Amino acid sequence: MTVETRRFGTIEFEEEDVLLFPEGILGFEECTRYVVLKHGEGSPFFWLQSLDRPEVAFLVADPAGFEPEYSPEMPPGVAQLLRLDETTPRLVYAILSIPHGKPEQMTANLAGPIVVNVTERLACQVVVEDGEWSTKHPVFEGAGGTEPSAATAA
Amino acid sequence: MLVLSRREHQSIMIGDDIEIVVLDIRGEQVRIGIRAPKDVTILRQEIYAQVQQQNVEATETRPEDVPE
Repeated sequence: MTVETRRFGTIEFEEEDVLLFPEGILGFEECTRYVVLKHGEGSPFFWLQSLDRPEVAFLVADPAGFEPEYSPEMPPGVAQLLRLDETTPRLVYAILSIPHGKPEQMTANLAGPIVVNVTERLACQVVVEDGEWSTKHPVFEGAGGTEPSAATAA
Repeated sequence: MLVLSRREHQSIMIGDDIEIVVLDIRGEQVRIGIRAPKDVTILRQEIYAQVQQQNVEATETRPEDVPE
């Protein structure tokens, strides 16, 4: 199957690659189907490309790569929505924001991680309530004092 | 929007399973207790709004700005 995208042109995918967000992502509730694209070979960055709106895509990465302390509590209801039990393999991604032309100012939304049930290809955005994590967590060394990790600023 | 007035210790039922209780009122601040099933997400609205706003901002991210 193929889909037209704004950033990446026409991309090909299989139905079993599709990641379903039953409740969409906050602000984009109508976008429920995504494919995960690698940014590049060996890159820690991925793109969640919407299959419903070609202009919608989110840059994501595993927060463990730049914030090893990150282990937010899952609110009740997530396990049920994503059909997770203790043994289900899961991934956590953070949505990243980069101001135009300033990769060193990349931030991660650690207040709203994406949780993925890898086996069933189900996912949702969780809002972490405890207030410990920011929607604009600096990814690189800076005000937050975070060490640069797998990626370095160009 | 349904608008109700409540005093301290009064509550509101939403459906059969959700209860909102006014615990106490001190000056400008009201403390609210919420009883709801485990699968219902309860959040302060500002956090919800911030995450939503950040998602919108995130869609501005351009592939050419991503470090290699």
